[in-house]
Amino acid sequence: MSTTLRSEEMILNVGPQHPSTHGVFRLVVTLDGEQIVDADPVVGYLHRGTEKLAEGLQYTQIIPYTDRLDYIAAMLNNYALVHTVEHALDLEIPARAEHLRILVMELNRIASHLLFLGTYLLDLGAMSPFLYVFQERERIVQLFNEISGARLTYNYMRVGGVKWDAPPGWIEKVREFVPFMREKVKMYDKLISGNEIFLHRVRGIGVITQEDALQYSLSGINLRSTGIRFDLRKNRTYSIYDQFDFDMVTAENGDCYDRYYIHLEEIRQALNIVEQAAAQIPDGPVLGKVPKLIRIPAGEYYTSIEGARGELGVYIVSDGKDKPYRLKFRRPSFVNLQILRKMLIGQSMANLIAILGAVNIVLGEVDA
Amino acid sequence: MFSWQTQPLTGLNFLGMVIGAVIVLMVVLVVVMYTIYFERKVIGWMQNRIGPNRVGPFGLLQSAADVFKLLLKEDIVPANADRLMFMIAPIIAFVPSFMVLAVIPYTAAHVFTAGLNVGVLYYIALSSISIVGIVLGGWASNNKYSLVGGLRSAAQMISYEIPLGLSILGVIMLSGSLNLNTIVAHQATDRFGWYIIPQIIGFVVFVIAAIAELNRTPFDLPEAESELVAGYFTEYTGFRFAFYMLSEYVYVFAIASLGTTLFLGGWEGPFLPSWLWFALKTSLFIFFLFWVRATMPRIRIDQLMSFAWKVLIPVALFNILLTGALSLIL
Amino acid sequence: MADDKKEDVTEVKSEIKTGSAEAKPTASTKEAAAPTAKPASKVTPAKAAKAPQPPDPRVEQAVKQGEAIKAAIEKKLGADTVEEVTATKDIPILRIASAKWREAVTFLRDDPEQSYNYVELFAGTDYKDYIEVVLYFYSMTHGTYINVKTRTPRDEAIIPSLTPVLPGVNWEEREVYDLLGVTFEGHPDLRRIMMWDGWNGYPLRKDYSDFQNMPQREGEPHS
Repeated sequence: MSTTLRSEEMILNVGPQHPSTHGVFRLVVTLDGEQIVDADPVVGYLHRGTEKLAEGLQYTQIIPYTDRLDYIAAMLNNYALVHTVEHALDLEIPARAEHLRILVMELNRIASHLLFLGTYLLDLGAMSPFLYVFQERERIVQLFNEISGARLTYNYMRVGGVKWDAPPGWIEKVREFVPFMREKVKMYDKLISGNEIFLHRVRGIGVITQEDALQYSLSGINLRSTGIRFDLRKNRTYSIYDQFDFDMVTAENGDCYDRYYIHLEEIRQALNIVEQAAAQIPDGPVLGKVPKLIRIPAGEYYTSIEGARGELGVYIVSDGKDKPYRLKFRRPSFVNLQILRKMLIGQSMANLIAILGAVNIVLGEVDA
Repeated sequence: MFSWQTQPLTGLNFLGMVIGAVIVLMVVLVVVMYTIYFERKVIGWMQNRIGPNRVGPFGLLQSAADVFKLLLKEDIVPANADRLMFMIAPIIAFVPSFMVLAVIPYTAAHVFTAGLNVGVLYYIALSSISIVGIVLGGWASNNKYSLVGGLRSAAQMISYEIPLGLSILGVIMLSGSLNLNTIVAHQATDRFGWYIIPQIIGFVVFVIAAIAELNRTPFDLPEAESELVAGYFTEYTGFRFAFYMLSEYVYVFAIASLGTTLFLGGWEGPFLPSWLWFALKTSLFIFFLFWVRATMPRIRIDQLMSFAWKVLIPVALFNILLTGALSLIL
Repeated sequence: MADDKKEDVTEVKSEIKTGSAEAKPTASTKEAAAPTAKPASKVTPAKAAKAPQPPDPRVEQAVKQGEAIKAAIEKKLGADTVEEVTATKDIPILRIASAKWREAVTFLRDDPEQSYNYVELFAGTDYKDYIEVVLYFYSMTHGTYINVKTRTPRDEAIIPSLTPVLPGVNWEEREVYDLLGVTFEGHPDLRRIMMWDGWNGYPLRKDYSDFQNMPQREGEPHS
């Protein structure tokens, strides 16, 4: 808008109580008309000091705290922590436990991606998908309720395995869920992907280049949407992901549409994994041989997994005691959010929501 | 007493007018109440929900309860708002929405209809006044979201008035009258039937412009919840908020009535009584608006504007040209 | 904490001298490998219990890799840039002098032999004697990753900021500044990120006390 007319800039506070900041996130936007001149994300409203709290807790006691980080995908958070501890201890995990973990993690990924689809479309003004996704998600949540006793904060993983074996009939329910969900994904594809208005809102909006993606250490779908093939399940296989046949989903343009579409496609791939894992799950114990009191040998350890939102890592510094000396969560939402300012400047106000929504953040994770 | 259209203005006729106006007002209020209920139910079903079902049988009194609640709420005027304007704005938005209903022919008998010779013009002119109320409300709230919402609606409604007017022009050319009663009468005898058939392009433009005019999805930018919280009425509470809501839904009814009158033959129809035909067609129109709302995401403001100016207006102009040419040839 | 790696380091160094197969092309100049200076680490591991541990082959491999990188760095930036090379599991750890922190990281990113172009983790730890900042660096082209770190004294914690060269650590540095009190020189926007401005103390420091650092009324954000 390069007019000769002098116009005054307006500072608009988006959040912390705003319908589509997905939690308590504040964005101080400087507007010139409807164009964004500057954007300053303000976070920390949900900071609970998880990392500080963890320093006073034993490793098993930290697991419930990880539930509260990315509460949309708590299973993956659980796993990120126990995976690092197991990596430090070089533990052997029983095969059944690994399969159960894969099942719940991928189901949780599906639930998380579904919620993204719903809320993203709601941000763009379409109400119905939001309510549709909750039905499918409800089935997953019911499955989790049966296996872990909780609907949101599962606290299901343990160092060396999982807390409970699947109840009778659970695996069958998962098997039944797969074809059901496949149909639903087809439905979403039909309902959303071809909608002209939707395409106009997201195509070519919020483009991230490959260089930017690497410089800003983006991970997960934000990174893969630019065409960089980086999925920790493939690039640095953990657990037993190497036993399953699935594809890494990437796109080329790095715009909001690509990010949306990868979410949809990853649901399909996760279903493939769930199907295979449910088919070949062996019998056996669900908790390996783990000492009563877990002590990690002194040193520093970092492992990361492919979370629902990106690279979810846990960094543990141990001094040989039963509590971590320092615990740091590499929270993908926190890292991914940094690029927001760069993406927003120069865009119109109406694109703000489309861009912010597609980055897919969870404030519990951003603020830790 | 109720046939004032052709008679001189006497005291009795004036009384009839007042009674008629009050009856229309009451009927419309009930209709609006159940339009809201209908919307919530229909969208609920489309989204695999139940919809309101607690207040009264099948939730039929839900809207009444909502309105009642709004009337009981505290009337908050923000400290930094322009007090007078803030209070007047909902009224300015609200009054024209009822006034436009005067020209709609509900039944064959025209009991409650003003036989205005410039009925179409009257409708378009008065409905534009509501924009003033909306802009004023947005401005007086002294809230940035309200302001952006108000300005957006001004831009949007003014832009879409034009294709709306142009799309109606085809109908006027065919019927040769601006009087809505005459237009309905013409449709009964026209060789092509209802004007939706010869004026299909005009009808499509009309529907799109009407949705935009109503600020409904996919053109509900002024109150885009995800961007502007609630748009121009962010700061409003209680019955002032209810005024805005009410005027919005009265306009839904009004524009559906106008569309029915202009394109769907108004009260025309076999077997059933004329008011029932009118009600059916209007409900169908309203249902379509709700259906669209449940399906579509929201369009972006610049796309909205360019759509009006670059697509709808040329199409509407082409329609006028086509109508003129065809009526010369045929 | 890195004491048990000491033997590995010396062992591996001798191995490099004999010319290992794994050594990268840049590792051909090995004389730069400086004697590893070991500051006394307060965080003593419970190592005495299991003293004669056989050297882990993964660690040896990683240290070898780390030495090669060290050689490359010191060739470019002069000796004493890398203070220590250790490893945990299969990841080499390079401790870099804080004065050359930014140069070394930039080199690791830009050098085609290394091209560590993706920051995985940026974290700070208070070790009671010093504060350590850790960077897990991944190479998209080679698929390898390393751990580089640097130390700074607690009372005057200043480290050159990496944000000008790696915009992705912007918020991470702010977080370390906020929670550990490390000042990053050259950071464009060094403000508290999790706590509000005016918060007393740095919560992740080991001597932080909830009671001494009770938030003051005036420290709370105003409406």
